Amino acid sequence: MKKITIDPITRLEGHGKIEIFLNDAGEVENTYFQIPELRGFEKFCEGRLAEDMPQITQRICGVCPEAHHMAATKALDDVFHVDPPSAAKKLRELFYSSFYVTDHTTHFYILAGPDFVMGPEAPVAERNILGVIAKVGLELGGAVIKTRMQNHRIIQMLGGRAVHPVFGLPGGVSKGLNEDERKEVEQIAKDSVEFAKLSLKVFDDIVLKNKEYLDMVLSDAYTHHTYYMGLVDEKNRVNFYDGKVRVVDPDGKEFVKYSPKEYLDNVAEHVEPWTYVKIPYLKKVGWKGFVDGKDSGVFRATPLSRLNAADGMATPLAQAEYERFFSTLGGKPVHQTLATHWARLVELLYAAERLLELSKDPEITSPNIRTIPTAKPDEGVGIVEAPRGTLTHHYITDENGIIKKANLIVATVNNVAAISMSVNKAAKALIKPGKKITEGLLNRIEMAWRPYDPCFGCATHTLPGQAAMEVVIYNSKGEVVDRLHR
Amino acid sequence: MGIGNPLLCDDGVGLRVAFELKDRVDQPEVTIMETGIAGLALLDLLVGYDRAIIIDAIQTIDGKAGHIYRLDTQAFDAARHTVSQHDIDFTTALEFGKKLGLSLPKQIIIFAIEASDVRTFIEECTPEVQKAIPICVELVLQELKKG
Repeated sequence: MKKITIDPITRLEGHGKIEIFLNDAGEVENTYFQIPELRGFEKFCEGRLAEDMPQITQRICGVCPEAHHMAATKALDDVFHVDPPSAAKKLRELFYSSFYVTDHTTHFYILAGPDFVMGPEAPVAERNILGVIAKVGLELGGAVIKTRMQNHRIIQMLGGRAVHPVFGLPGGVSKGLNEDERKEVEQIAKDSVEFAKLSLKVFDDIVLKNKEYLDMVLSDAYTHHTYYMGLVDEKNRVNFYDGKVRVVDPDGKEFVKYSPKEYLDNVAEHVEPWTYVKIPYLKKVGWKGFVDGKDSGVFRATPLSRLNAADGMATPLAQAEYERFFSTLGGKPVHQTLATHWARLVELLYAAERLLELSKDPEITSPNIRTIPTAKPDEGVGIVEAPRGTLTHHYITDENGIIKKANLIVATVNNVAAISMSVNKAAKALIKPGKKITEGLLNRIEMAWRPYDPCFGCATHTLPGQAAMEVVIYNSKGEVVDRLHR
Repeated sequence: MGIGNPLLCDDGVGLRVAFELKDRVDQPEVTIMETGIAGLALLDLLVGYDRAIIIDAIQTIDGKAGHIYRLDTQAFDAARHTVSQHDIDFTTALEFGKKLGLSLPKQIIIFAIEASDVRTFIEECTPEVQKAIPICVELVLQELKKG
């Protein structure tokens, strides 16, 4: 058997690895998606004060600290049996909307954009943000930086610092907004809405109006018919901060809608010999292997999934874009993985609009931002939508609020089965016997998992000279017959 | 600016050096930061400063734990197209910022400490890396004196 290794995945936090096994005929036999193991996080949490969890868990990685901070904070509400005041909930959602604006902006322009703006097979030296601004213009680059900085300003305003905020507390938040700050947030929100609209226009011009790209988005190589998961409000509209988890089947029909506490009744974990990651699947459907379809418990939790799992968006411009999304792509649900990039931009617009709504809410400057917990702590579950998918924190404490057990299902882990399947399908469609394996071809395989934006939360750095992307081809005896460096 | 994750063993060594420096540096014009980010977000934090000294963990092929490398951005430049583009790498972020006309430090020095374990959740460094902390603190103080 021949073996191709792509390690590490480029443009991701931490190192991942894709192993592609070829048979003697040179066809793809199978592929494996590996996540680096971080040892002992749950154990590390045991014996600590529950109220430290929003600070501890947000250090899991440098990409989405705010998502862990918020899931942990909500789990603490549940652990301490406390309902935060309405203003505190709105402040949390405002904070979280700002975070979404920064995160989705970064993904689209830095990670996804280069493939489309420069082309999937453009030289690697050009397929990055510098190439993008050289082609699209400096002005857009400036808007990206400004949007990120402005929204980090909001996070800092409420969280005390731009990275690793100190904001969420059981029963509320640590700081509110005064009128001057509120005005500043409102202006930033207005700018962010304009920026989101501009970003959708960029997507329209570059991807949707390019037949070759649209065909690629719609192609079978990047398509899977799975279940979809996402948090929804009481009207089944997309919500990042709160609500129930809704799952729709591959036909788009509601399969289940559950409260955070019921997650263990709905999600089970499958163990494979080749990875330490326990692969989540829908318990009531069952694990049938790495296959799609209605009989397989494989689900996806991504921006695309959230749009599929909901009935609409809660803000007007995002709703209009939501409708355009589904009418352009042939109705609900959309199964094309590459459409996730567009879904992310619909969500960017929603986040900016929601930020604006909340900044104008009369209650947002209320000083009533905390309900002091008085009940005995025991157990709690908090679920939010992280930008990369549904994020669950579950803590069990003793009566003094000391953590006895912590369980985290992070966004990327939800998608491990789907990512493996996506890579396998793209590899099978693209690698053919006798066809030269080029960097561009490998990038097209990478494009199958980039929409999920898997995040490994591992932040070490490499010295110059170390090969970042290496492809090694082995013959059936295990000897290296070819080696490709980026 | 110390960068790293304080919960992830040697990954947090840069933060520990920055923490030690807080007691050793009294020039009002010097800001000491501890953070856990990279790429574009790092750019946001560097805007408005004249000089930057970054302290971070690093892992190199056959590297010896606790070794300290003094790098300037040229060293990262040389290999930009061969190293991984996580998110956006530091050099690309800087080049991006310069193209946009952001007010970025004129000089950036990176002290990188060779890490041994960056995968275990523990709030302390391995002994070899621990020993490098006071040495790196002195190196940063000397660097500051250069003005």
